[in-house]
Amino acid sequence: MLYIHQPGLRTTIQDTGRFGHYHMGVPPSGAADRYSFLLGNALLGNPSHYAGLEIMLQGPVIEFQKATVIALTGAPAKALLNGEDLPFYEPVAVSLGDVLEIGEIKNGVFAYLTISGGLDTPEILGSRSMCVASGFPGVLGRALLEGDCIPVKEPLPGALRQISNSILEEVKPVFRKELDLHIVLGISSESISDEGLIGMLNEEWTVHTQSNRVAYRLRGGKVRYKTEAAPFGSGSNPGNIVDIPYPIGGVIVPNEEELIVLLNDGTGGGGFVTTGAMVSSDISLLAQARPQTTVRFHAVTVEKAFQLRREKEQLIEKVKAAMQQA
Amino acid sequence: MLVFSETRFDFCGDEYIYAELSKEMRIESTFKVITVTNELRKRDIPGLIEIYPSNTSYLIRYDPNVISPHHLLEYLQEVDRQKNDRSELTFSSRMIEIPVWYDDAVTRKTAERYEHLQPEAKGHDFSYVMQLNGFESSDAFIQAHSSVPYFITSLGFKPGNAWGFPIGIPDHRIIQAPKYKSPRAYTPSEAVGVGGAFTVVYPTESTGSYQLIGLSAVPVYDPNQSLSIFRDTFFLAKPGDLWKYRPVTEAEYHNIREEVSKRTYTYKVKPIQFSAERYEEEGSKYIQQLMEGF
Repeated sequence: MLYIHQPGLRTTIQDTGRFGHYHMGVPPSGAADRYSFLLGNALLGNPSHYAGLEIMLQGPVIEFQKATVIALTGAPAKALLNGEDLPFYEPVAVSLGDVLEIGEIKNGVFAYLTISGGLDTPEILGSRSMCVASGFPGVLGRALLEGDCIPVKEPLPGALRQISNSILEEVKPVFRKELDLHIVLGISSESISDEGLIGMLNEEWTVHTQSNRVAYRLRGGKVRYKTEAAPFGSGSNPGNIVDIPYPIGGVIVPNEEELIVLLNDGTGGGGFVTTGAMVSSDISLLAQARPQTTVRFHAVTVEKAFQLRREKEQLIEKVKAAMQQA
Repeated sequence: MLVFSETRFDFCGDEYIYAELSKEMRIESTFKVITVTNELRKRDIPGLIEIYPSNTSYLIRYDPNVISPHHLLEYLQEVDRQKNDRSELTFSSRMIEIPVWYDDAVTRKTAERYEHLQPEAKGHDFSYVMQLNGFESSDAFIQAHSSVPYFITSLGFKPGNAWGFPIGIPDHRIIQAPKYKSPRAYTPSEAVGVGGAFTVVYPTESTGSYQLIGLSAVPVYDPNQSLSIFRDTFFLAKPGDLWKYRPVTEAEYHNIREEVSKRTYTYKVKPIQFSAERYEEEGSKYIQQLMEGF
């Protein structure tokens, strides 16, 4: 069990997501920064989909009611185990009664706590990830509260052998104030003027405060629509299209001065011009961006998108391989 | 004639393929989208993660580590072409009755609370929609809204939320409404809303921008699976289903609510085989025939 003494600002249970129900209005959810989350599981020798805790901005105080092995990844924060400094990106043994206190995250948004064997909370539609919009029961539909007892599974065989096996510096994510994101253009991008597309790609965008796990809002640039009549059934405003299914990572243009990028809690379809979708590995980067972060978009071919994805996967595989040899 | 121009396919990012049949809303496009996506679901293709049908387009999410994106694209194009034959455009679906307390006290209160968001509606969405559509009495409006079935084109926005498009009537008789310019922070669960030409039943409490005209007596989403219709799924709606709203009085509304809370309520459901070809040839006569005895 994990006993929650203080829940922090918004600590939730997440895994790699809930699939096959997006067309019923159920978002995939899952760790917002999938890359950091996967590193956490890789460090412990866990299968990638094992559930852990996603910690937002201000961390929780947690008491371990079982001896196990844990790892902290993602955006760095001060972490204390029984008052002693605890490193990130390193498997650590904890004993019955140990208290973990995670402080404020100053760079980035989300940190992850993964546990050998994973959490043993209930699944719904094939996932343990929390989703607010769903109305799911208990911790599947809400953030953790003071007094929650979160069941954990037994540590995996060999868990203790992973301890203090830290990872290469090059694998750790970096949290920058300036982001370069990659997009494959398409969907309804032909509703944007050439000048508008150039604007979207050349100008700098700034992350707005109204950004969360559902969607990020970006402002500061300008994207001109084409001046042609809206198609039948789309609504009368420029930028309206007949409702389409939005991909996660889709870059949506609700008006000429704003971009919306859907993240893992994104809610399916809608009727705004959509210029394409980001490379999936970039979603982790954007989810960690705080308000005022500067964003630049780069158009890439689909081949380049697969290559970028592959590079991130290889980093995770490197960690997995290193841990297997430990 | 049901003629489909070439479907346009796009790679989106590294995990999605988007297919667009038409830019403008055409119910025939929806029929084809449903037929194609039903077929793909049936084939159970390894590496396909999501199959998402929408009004005139569909979206496929895949795992590029399991299936070659280029092979998948060719495969999708092939399935899409096979479904250009209108005799192929048939699917099993259901007609489902949704009892509605129109112009109810609950959504009236919500509309009053958000009057400031659209002063032109004077805090009464029901009368606003009624007048915009040229109805002089609420009975005539309720009759018009509840006499035609609504074709479920797609789901989204919130788990279980489904868009219903009225079929079997000419476009000019379709009830339409503008959306709130700025969305409400709150909508009661099971509120019935109209936005554009679509009617929805809000599955849970949520934000919302459709005009509220009534309250459904029955849930459309049930993650606790307390009623028998939800035994195999949390969702009442399925693309291709037809929903028929039936006006009920306040007293009847409360009776049904009680049955719902005692878990004894059974939905009125009729299985149907929908044929796009027959709809194209016979129009409203075909829809009337499907509704016979319902």
